[in-house]
Amino acid sequence: MGASDEELVSAFQAGDISAFDDLSRRWNGKIQGAIYRILGSEEEARDLAQDAFLKAFRSLRSFKGECRFSSWLYQIALNLCRDRMRRRRGRILVSLDDAAAEGHATEPRGPSALELVEANDRARRVATAVAALPEEQREVIVLKEYQGLTFLEIAQLLELPTSTVKTRLYRGLAQLREHLERDGLRAAPTVAVSPS
Amino acid sequence: MVCTNFRDDMIDVLYGEAGTEAARRLEQHVSTCADCSAERAALKALRADLKTWTLPASLRRTSETHRGRTLAAAAALVLLLLGAALGRGLTSPGASLEARFRAEEARRQAEIDSLRNAVAAASQRDDASLLAHVDERIRASEARQALLLAASLSDLSAHSEAQRRYDLARVSAGLSYLDGRAGQQAARTTELMGYLLQASQDK
Repeated sequence: MGASDEELVSAFQAGDISAFDDLSRRWNGKIQGAIYRILGSEEEARDLAQDAFLKAFRSLRSFKGECRFSSWLYQIALNLCRDRMRRRRGRILVSLDDAAAEGHATEPRGPSALELVEANDRARRVATAVAALPEEQREVIVLKEYQGLTFLEIAQLLELPTSTVKTRLYRGLAQLREHLERDGLRAAPTVAVSPS
Repeated sequence: MVCTNFRDDMIDVLYGEAGTEAARRLEQHVSTCADCSAERAALKALRADLKTWTLPASLRRTSETHRGRTLAAAAALVLLLLGAALGRGLTSPGASLEARFRAEEARRQAEIDSLRNAVAAASQRDDASLLAHVDERIRASEARQALLLAASLSDLSAHSEAQRRYDLARVSAGLSYLDGRAGQQAARTTELMGYLLQASQDK
């Protein structure tokens, strides 16, 4: 079992620069994933993740540990995403080819060609629907649905009350559902339980 | 539409963050509310749809490489421990206990020394490579900023040129219009002079 984030941060602050390498190895994938899903571009995900770690490297000595290292790192990455969005005036780039090609990488049983096509199409539509969300809802959806953060963690890193996070999540989900249903992707329940 | 009072419970249950009381409360409500029951099913289906959007292979590879490195390090540690255990098992049964302890002690000391040297060397190398890596990142970032600046300047220059051409075209059009107006005025004056001349001659 490796050292915890807190231990690595302390080691770095005590002068062990290589501790940062462990931290970046540990979190690079997650941060790239979050940026990719917010901005929709692989290249930007790599670039901004690199920028985020560079910023973190420069300011980690003054990190007081008031929140978890990962929350702090996500905060840096989100700010970079927001800057990038402002620069391109809210335009989201969704690499549809990627979304389609990566939709279903693994299946427990051999999927038929038709199943693969359907799965890719579904992934592409989901990516487009997420990209169409307002920025604040997209951030919460990505952090909750794809990064698996708790509501409390999201609330801390976005500096919002937990109730606001849940409201944004709920609205985002409702909007996604509407978008996907309009797009012909079934997301409505097939069976509704009738009152007893 | 979900009943407002149960919305937070629904979200908590959906993401596995609800306490037992909230889960029970929602379950009880859903059993009597068709709308909320349908809403819950729809949200579950939606979450399943969202899961189909996975990361591109290149980004997945990044994290798998890191996981691979961690697994390799763990495997190396296991092999090291196995090797140490086997080494102890193969010690000659005829040797005295004290001699075995001494040999073991000397071997461990040698291992510790060599590990210490290796760690010191690796640490220096890691520091140097990390700094080189950071330098490289800074350079890449600066190059990117320079490109963005160049692109912005190029945009600005193109915009200024377009604006200049537009202004020139407007000035030119204005002058043509004034020319036209002056020409009309002169023609009208000439015409009036002609009438006056003719009238004076008629008299």
